[in-house]
Amino acid sequence: MKPIMLQGHERSITQIKFNREGDLLFSASKDPKPNCWYSINGERLGTYDGHSGAVWSIDVKWDSTLFVTGSADQSMRIWDIETGTSLSNLEMKTSVRGVNFSYSGTMIAYTTDKMMGHNSELNIIDVRDPKDVDPTPIMKTQVTPNNAKALSVLWGPLDEYVITGHEDGCIIKWDMRTGKKIEIGQEHTKQIKDMQLSHDGLMLITASKDTTARLWDVGTLECLKMYKTDRPVNSAAITPLLDTYPHVVLGGGQEAMDVTTTSSRIGKFDARFFHLVFEEEFARVKGHFGPINSIAFHPNGKGYASGGEDGYVRVHVFDDAYYQFKFDF
Amino acid sequence: MPAAEDTVKSSWADEVEEVEGGNLPPPVEKNDGTSKTITEYSMNDEGKKVKIISYYRIEKHRVARTIAERKTWRKYGLSKNDKPGPNPATTITAEDVFMHFLSNKDEEQNEQEEIKKKLLDQQKGQVKCRLCKEDHWTKQCPYKDKLEPLRSSLLGEEAAEEETPAQATPAEKPKIGGVTQGKYIPPSMRDGGSKKGESMMSSRGRDETATVRVTNLSENTREQDLQDLFRPFGDISRIFLAKDKNTGQSKGFAFINFKRREDAAKAIQVLNGYGYDHLILSVEWAKPSGTQ
Repeated sequence: MKPIMLQGHERSITQIKFNREGDLLFSASKDPKPNCWYSINGERLGTYDGHSGAVWSIDVKWDSTLFVTGSADQSMRIWDIETGTSLSNLEMKTSVRGVNFSYSGTMIAYTTDKMMGHNSELNIIDVRDPKDVDPTPIMKTQVTPNNAKALSVLWGPLDEYVITGHEDGCIIKWDMRTGKKIEIGQEHTKQIKDMQLSHDGLMLITASKDTTARLWDVGTLECLKMYKTDRPVNSAAITPLLDTYPHVVLGGGQEAMDVTTTSSRIGKFDARFFHLVFEEEFARVKGHFGPINSIAFHPNGKGYASGGEDGYVRVHVFDDAYYQFKFDF
Repeated sequence: MPAAEDTVKSSWADEVEEVEGGNLPPPVEKNDGTSKTITEYSMNDEGKKVKIISYYRIEKHRVARTIAERKTWRKYGLSKNDKPGPNPATTITAEDVFMHFLSNKDEEQNEQEEIKKKLLDQQKGQVKCRLCKEDHWTKQCPYKDKLEPLRSSLLGEEAAEEETPAQATPAEKPKIGGVTQGKYIPPSMRDGGSKKGESMMSSRGRDETATVRVTNLSENTREQDLQDLFRPFGDISRIFLAKDKNTGQSKGFAFINFKRREDAAKAIQVLNGYGYDHLILSVEWAKPSGTQ
C-alpha cells in the first residue's frame, strides 16, 4: 500500500479522529493548530487557529458540523468545521485532557488536569447552542484526590454514563446524573493512554503504558481480552468490520524520552495488527520513525490512519493481502 | 491524486526556442477522462527554466450527498490560499510499505531464546556457590540445608589453614583492584589487564555464521538488486554493499547476512559462478571480521 503522508504539524501528533462517514480526518498535535483533511486524497481542508498551547484531545460531532478541542492553554474550543471559525471558547482553570461528544451531540464530557491546587475534574456541558454555551457544567465530579487523574473520556451507550481512563491504569464508569461511580475496571498497571469504542459502542479498547491493550465490555466493564506487546501502547482501535475481519490495531513504541538511553534494537514503531479473539499478533506495518501516538480505523474498515511522535499522519488503504490473509487456527 | 511528479530541465533545444519566444510558454493541460497531465513552466532560483509535468489519475466515487457537499467547502486557516487538490507542501505520497505478516512466529521466539541463552552463558563462571561450587548463588543452593552446617563445622580448621599460605606468599599477584592491599595497581597489571579488549563488532552480537561474501559485482549493482538476487534463498537480516564514498557506485563486493545458515549455504551453492550483469559472481562464506 502507498500511504499518504500528511505534514501539517510542527510537533508530535496527540490525537487523530475520523468523522462518522470517514471522509474527513482530524488531527491535533502539540502545536496549537489542529488540522482537518480529506481522507480520500490527503488534501487539507484547513486549520483551526486560536489555541495557544498543545491540543491534547479532539472530537467530532456525528453530523460533522462541530469540532471540539481540549488544550493545554486551559481552554476548550468548539469550532464550525465548514468555515474553521471558533464558535465558543470556554476558559478553564487547568488544561483540558480529554473531550468527547455524546452520541446525540448535545453534550460534551471533558476531563481537566490536576494542576496548581485544582483537582482533576470530570465535567459535562450542554452544547445545544454552540454559539452560546453555558460554561457551568450540568454535571460535575471531582476525580482527584479519591482517584488518580483522569486522562481520556468516552460516553457509554444511550448517553447514560461516561467512562474515564486514569493515570494509575484504572477505568471508571460514572453515572452522569448522580456523579457516582458505578464500576471500576482495574486491570492495567500503568496509565491509560487512549480509549476507543467499537463501531457499535458495545466494546471498548484501552491502550496502556504497561505494554498491553485490553478489550472491555462497556456494559459490565469486564475485561474480555488482552493484547500483549513489548513496548508501551499509546493507542488502539477496533475494526468496524468485526464479522469479516475481526482485528484490532495497536500503535506505540518506546517512549520518545527513552529512545536514546536504551540499547535495544531500533524501530518497533510499527502498527501491530492483532486478531480480536485469539489475541495473537499477525501483521505489522512500518512507517513512522517515532512512536505512534494515535491510531484510528477508517469507518469503512478498509484502511487506517496513524499519527506519530514524528509529527506525521499516515493514511493507509489496505491492499488485497490484508483481506486474503487467513488466520491459522 | 498526483501519481508522479517530476522536474525535467529543459534541453538546450528548448532553451533556444524559448529565448526566441521570450516569455514562458503557457501551461498545457491534457485531460482524457481517466487521467490528467499538466505541463507547467517556471523559473527556478538560479534563473533557469523548469518544466514541471504533473500526472493525475482521475477517480470517480459515488458518495452520500453530505460528503459531496463537504468536498465543495472552501479551505480555511493555513490552507486558505491552497488551490483545489492536495498541496504538495502538506500532502506527500509516501513510499510503498508492505504489511509484514508474521507467519514465522516460532523463528522469532527461537531468536529470543538464543539471546537469552547467550546471556545465561555469559553469566556462567561469574557466580559460584561457596557450598557446592555450581553456577548459582550460595543463598539459592539446593544443598544449602545439608552442606551449610557441615561447612561451618569445617570452617574453623580451614580458616587456620588459609592464613598460613597467605602470609608465606605476600608477593603473590594481587587480586582485582588490589583493595585488600590498599596499593595502587596500574590497569595493565590488574587481573585481565593483559587480555585483549573485546571488539565493538562482537559485542554488538551480530551472528556472522550465516554471512556470505559476494565479489566481482558490477559497478552498477545496488542493494535492491542484491535483495532480488538473494531473497529467494531465505530471509535476509542485513545486506552490506561496499560503495565508493564519493560516487556512490559499488566497489564490487558485498556481504549478505542470512537468518539461517542453511539458506546461506544454498545461496553459495547456486550463485557461486553465476553470470550476473556480464560478470561471473563469486560467492563464498565470509570470514568473521577481525580474523582477516
